[in-house]
Amino acid sequence: MLCDLSYIFIYKKEADTLDVNSVFNGLNIDGFKIVIELALLVIRILLPVLAVIIVFQCYSSMRRHRREEKPLIMLENDATGEGVPVLYWENAIGRSRGCDITIADGAVSRDHAVLLRREDGWFVSDVGSKSGTMVNGQTTQGRQPVFIDDKITVGNTTMTIKRADDYTDINKSWFFSRPKNKKGIAPAALMFLITIFNFFLGIEASLSIEKQDFQPMGVFVVFTLVTWLFFFISSKIIKRSNFELESLAIFLCGIGAMLLCRQDIKQAYVQIAAMIVGIIGFCIIIKFIENPDRVKKWRMGIMIASVLLLGVNIVFGAVRNGAANWIEVGGVSIQPSEIVKIGFIFVGAGALDELLTKKNLLQFIIFSAVCVGALFIMSDLGTALIFFGTFLTIAFMRSGDLKTIILAVAGAVFGSAIVLKFKPYIADRFQAWGNVFKYADSTGYQQARVLTYAASGGLIGVGLGNGYLKYVFASESDLVFGLMCEEIGLIIALACGVAIGGLVFYARAITTRSRSTFYSISACCAASLMLLQAGLNIFGATDILPLTGVTLPFISLGGSSMISCWCLLSFIKAADERTYAAKK
Amino acid sequence: MKRTLTRSILGLIMAIAFVGGLGLFTFRISTNANAWVQQNYNGHMSGSSGLEQAGIIYDRNGNILAHTVDGKRVYSDDYETRLATLHVVGDNSLNISTAVQSIYRDDLTGFNYVWGLGLPSSLKSSKDITLTIDSQACKTAYEALGDYNGAVVVYNYKTGEVLCSVSKASYDPQDPPEITEENEEEYAGVYVDRVISGLYPPGSTFKIITSAAAIENMPDIYNRTFTCNGSVNIGGQEISCMSTHGDIGFEDALAHSCNVVFAEIADELGNDIMQKTAEEMGFTKSYSVGDIPTARGEYDLLGASQNERAWSGIGQFTDLANPMQMAIMCGAIANGGDANIPFEVKTISSFFGLAGLNNTAKTESLIKSSTANQLNDLMRNNVTSYYGDDMFETLSVCAKTGTAEVGDGKEPHAWMVGYSQDTDAPLAFAVIVENSGYGYSVAGPVAVSAMEACANVLRN
Repeated sequence: MLCDLSYIFIYKKEADTLDVNSVFNGLNIDGFKIVIELALLVIRILLPVLAVIIVFQCYSSMRRHRREEKPLIMLENDATGEGVPVLYWENAIGRSRGCDITIADGAVSRDHAVLLRREDGWFVSDVGSKSGTMVNGQTTQGRQPVFIDDKITVGNTTMTIKRADDYTDINKSWFFSRPKNKKGIAPAALMFLITIFNFFLGIEASLSIEKQDFQPMGVFVVFTLVTWLFFFISSKIIKRSNFELESLAIFLCGIGAMLLCRQDIKQAYVQIAAMIVGIIGFCIIIKFIENPDRVKKWRMGIMIASVLLLGVNIVFGAVRNGAANWIEVGGVSIQPSEIVKIGFIFVGAGALDELLTKKNLLQFIIFSAVCVGALFIMSDLGTALIFFGTFLTIAFMRSGDLKTIILAVAGAVFGSAIVLKFKPYIADRFQAWGNVFKYADSTGYQQARVLTYAASGGLIGVGLGNGYLKYVFASESDLVFGLMCEEIGLIIALACGVAIGGLVFYARAITTRSRSTFYSISACCAASLMLLQAGLNIFGATDILPLTGVTLPFISLGGSSMISCWCLLSFIKAADERTYAAKK
Repeated sequence: MKRTLTRSILGLIMAIAFVGGLGLFTFRISTNANAWVQQNYNGHMSGSSGLEQAGIIYDRNGNILAHTVDGKRVYSDDYETRLATLHVVGDNSLNISTAVQSIYRDDLTGFNYVWGLGLPSSLKSSKDITLTIDSQACKTAYEALGDYNGAVVVYNYKTGEVLCSVSKASYDPQDPPEITEENEEEYAGVYVDRVISGLYPPGSTFKIITSAAAIENMPDIYNRTFTCNGSVNIGGQEISCMSTHGDIGFEDALAHSCNVVFAEIADELGNDIMQKTAEEMGFTKSYSVGDIPTARGEYDLLGASQNERAWSGIGQFTDLANPMQMAIMCGAIANGGDANIPFEVKTISSFFGLAGLNNTAKTESLIKSSTANQLNDLMRNNVTSYYGDDMFETLSVCAKTGTAEVGDGKEPHAWMVGYSQDTDAPLAFAVIVENSGYGYSVAGPVAVSAMEACANVLRN
């Protein structure tokens, strides 16, 4: 959110000096005071333990309940009688060794055709091969449905589709190393752990040094009701068997909401409201992309809408904290760039036959350049960087073309150098980088405080509501990692970092198990996007990178950011093949 | 889809970099937490509240120099003692960065990174610190400085214990002044411990180093006769002397502090030898007094002209000396060339009486023992033949005075550095009195007061 560092001197409130005698006002009995202090200490020690267990259990149950990876169907080579297993929902057929089904036949193009599965059966689609693809002797046009015992001819090779025999496990991922292992934690138990965790946070906040009232418990109750309702709808009404990904996000959202209790309790409720909108968006997008081919028709529309939204932002945008990335709509201020992130993934990803037919990235490159350029104009450098990084992952996943990536990076470096040459004052923003204590009263103000207060928190934190970083501007958004370190300790802060970073590993692990490359690309890129954002947030605040002012996914205060994170999560959820398989 | 998996490697690289970044942050926070926490804006330690849990600071005789009463930090009962020991002990706001309350704050407050600053007060374990200084001797030295600002340090060159360390200008930590534009001058440099962090032109005290260079590099130095006509032209510019000494030998030249002789010696020895000797004797070194680093002296002849070299040999040019370092150098001469590096914190004990740190001096060889012995004789001669052996009542002292010109029409800084030979009071000292006048007449009496007071401490 924060971009222009000249705004950082705004204190929200002067820090009151701590008067020991005011602690536990009214509790005159020393013994009682000590009991409370000890109870709070026990909670503070339990919280990190719980956090680590929760994050661990979320990921470990993602690894479980997996089907064994068996071939879906077989292709039998008519000439040799050799059987080739078809492992994925979308399979590239061609001469190239990178293809899923490699055919050593000089007449076959490098990428010849795609054999893909949809709800209504199997299809074969030629992707611009020289000699074309035939089914039962007839040249195909577009997607041609195929059935068992149909003959597919590519080049001089003809293959017959057969039912899958009992093939053993072929493609194992380390992530799913023991898929048949004992059952993971029950989703309800995981939710219960998270609820206990939030309950402890609520208690801690309620008995904070400055204020003792039970308002934070209100936030806890509302948050718990909303998340259990979501859980109930997901498992009983939609009948989805798994809830780990949502649990992980709920865990992070809970920390964000509870941290707000002692800053601005109203914001905590706003944050929960944003989460509800986010969850609705999450559900809608999963439904919308149920058919990956439907997205294709919408792509151009989404692209135009995204550009228009950014355009409207540039023209009507309100400058807030140095970046003009806000617009007001009917009393609600939103950050269009957060919404465009979702569009960006939509536009970038595609089904395999589509990607192989239209190898040209030009359209996507232009779209990306427009987005990044628009963000530059709004001087939202952090988000521009996130878009650029996401562009690189999408472009590479689609084309595998290292040259494009190197060219893009070189172009970006060159562009930045030119910008710095003509606008040297931009570099001044980064002057404190690596030297924050030297500039502790000017441009390094925020980072120096993050480091000081993070170190003051130790491993388990000083307790929710007892921190001082909360008086520093943007502590609940750009500096939230420092706020976590200070109030609930380094262990929980790192657990949150790992939780967000782990999404990339998860998205990669389900890549070949997705029902379309559309899902796998969008999942990997959505995960990378959140990771980039988390990286810029955490490392910017802690002076490992220059401070650019972006939010930490799910945790930072910010409605638009919260909504967009849930929407991005839906891509990862959709990539999991179990998502669309209803519990019978 | 296989290819899609391969190509997702970019995301994997980012994720690995991200995990690496988290690791880097964890490493940094675990190694730098102390430094990060000790910021004066840190709300967890604001005002005296950061020290509200801190333990007691004692002097060597168990006199309390700072302790906490009802959540407030309280200093010595005696006003003058508070002023005299301010720069060693420190104040509530950590204004004096080299003071014990700043440097050992984590020990005093019981900070450790695992628990952070959030441990309930009932569970915090603060530690007590016993210093090596004698508060009475500090008070005596502080009073001896009179109206002048300056620094006095006396330490036991056999054990390394600092007995007296005083820096003036000072203020009362119980009632710290608000420094405004009006009283700025009065409190100039008040937050600096001049003993540890002060840097002054050394003036004639630098002649000890020039002498050492001469002893080691001019075999006939004791047989040579120099001529002082009140000034000498070296490298095209005049170098003047305090008086006209006429024909004079090396030993007398040091006793009379003849500028002409030492300028000529420095000129003859050349840049390399002068630079090497100064560095070997630790003139440009930062010492660790316990955990407190001293300021680095300056002696830089790189690209210096002939005239500049000559000036540098008599402690002018760009030369800058730190009082603690001068005392250490004198201690090394007294000790036959090996310096026992001083320390101010004797013990740090925990609340439960478990012994923490128990300091002993680290030894460092600065001077060849033959050179040290000859310097010893020369510096003893300074006192017996020139200053007068009755100057120090009960001690036989070897010393060198200095009068460092500061320009701007201000009075020069007065220096005296040296040590006593007495086995029952092996003390090295350095005294600087700012803008006061001649070394012998102004710094001399201060040195006498401080040395006698410290000797008294050791003899009782």
